[in-house]
Amino acid sequence: MTTATQIAEKLDALPESSAVALKIRGEQYFDVIRGILDIFAKKKEMDSIYVTSTIPCQSIMNALQVLEIDTERIWFVDCISQIMMSVGEKHPHAIYVESPTMLENLMLKVEYLIRRAEGKKKLVILDNINSLAIHNNIKILSEFLHILVNNLRSKNTYTIIFSMEEYETDEMTNMLNLVCDESMTLEGG
Amino acid sequence: MLGRDARDRRERCKTGIEGLDNILNGGVPRGNTVLITGSVGTGKTSLCLEFLVHGSNSNEPSLYVSVTEPCDKLLKNIIPYDFFDESLMTDGKLHFIDLPIVYERLGLEKAEFDFEEVAILISAIASIVHELGIKRLVIDSITSVCYRLKSQENIRDFILKLGSVLSEMGCTSFLVSEISPAEERYSLYGVEEAIADGVIVTGNLERRGDLLRTLQVVKMRGTMHSRAKYVLDLTTVGVLLVPLLKGGSVAGGG
Repeated sequence: MTTATQIAEKLDALPESSAVALKIRGEQYFDVIRGILDIFAKKKEMDSIYVTSTIPCQSIMNALQVLEIDTERIWFVDCISQIMMSVGEKHPHAIYVESPTMLENLMLKVEYLIRRAEGKKKLVILDNINSLAIHNNIKILSEFLHILVNNLRSKNTYTIIFSMEEYETDEMTNMLNLVCDESMTLEGG
Repeated sequence: MLGRDARDRRERCKTGIEGLDNILNGGVPRGNTVLITGSVGTGKTSLCLEFLVHGSNSNEPSLYVSVTEPCDKLLKNIIPYDFFDESLMTDGKLHFIDLPIVYERLGLEKAEFDFEEVAILISAIASIVHELGIKRLVIDSITSVCYRLKSQENIRDFILKLGSVLSEMGCTSFLVSEISPAEERYSLYGVEEAIADGVIVTGNLERRGDLLRTLQVVKMRGTMHSRAKYVLDLTTVGVLLVPLLKGGSVAGGG
């Protein structure tokens, strides 16, 4: 079983609107994205909201194109391009937050995208908690995750929070265990 | 004195702004006069316009009285709300009036109004509200009207009588008040906030170099409400609100 099908099957087995902490390694990244966006979300006919605080959404979009993943139902909240002064041409499927420290604005943009497509099933990916922890302390990050996850749960939305295994601290593990319904790791590379 | 249950049973005027209605435990108690106060660029006018558009969408005729900016200019800059249709105006559900034109028609051309002229102005606004069957009113801004009233007695009299007349007609009103960012009170003359039934404060909060738009309901007669600070965003689906994260507001809080 490939990593992509493995993650899609694991997510499929969870109850609706679950919140999942997904621990991944760098080499699994693109397989995980394929499994979530191209298999799981497609099968469930969901719109995906991809929050990136690690790499600019344009780079992710380029990667998705290379992977031949349809981006029609994927929307981005990009918290990193503006702080890197690298927004350039704004993508119609992207909303920009000035800085990853503006966690309230991040929540507001997710809320906006959810409202705009009211009635459709949705999935929110937070990529990733480690880079948000560079810009925010653990207290405010815990508070943010607690509010975000509960808000998304009340809107019947799946939440998947990426955590890079090699950078996860004990504090982060505790925080993720507290707010998420499930913590997942993947086998193989 | 009304108990907690009785206060929460008062009929509500749902603003249509979901976050604000939640903060207010269902909406503004109908007939209340609410001061919307804050410095420039904090979203006061957008909040008020949305309140009116939601009202007219739910068959509550609504009126925006502009004091400083001509209405046609205001309409050009309005957020392109997904729920706003220009037919609301042609169908007579949403009205815009420039107060300087009303002044002119009433012959109120002096820079300073006396007691009698204040009464004429209140009577004129009340007549318009009555004739058009207005259920939601915004005066933007009350500060500009107060410039002409000068004395605290006149301002007190104006807001008190206007609020009372509008409340009797079942009209819920938002009065926009402009204050400077450093202001420690909620209105320029310090009288407005004491007389109004409610005070909603919009502001800018700087946190580690980030500027956040905030909203806080400081006072609202007739309902239980949250007094916490929220962060707001002005979007095409309307005003969105989320709680201000506390971890960032304490010293050394990240």
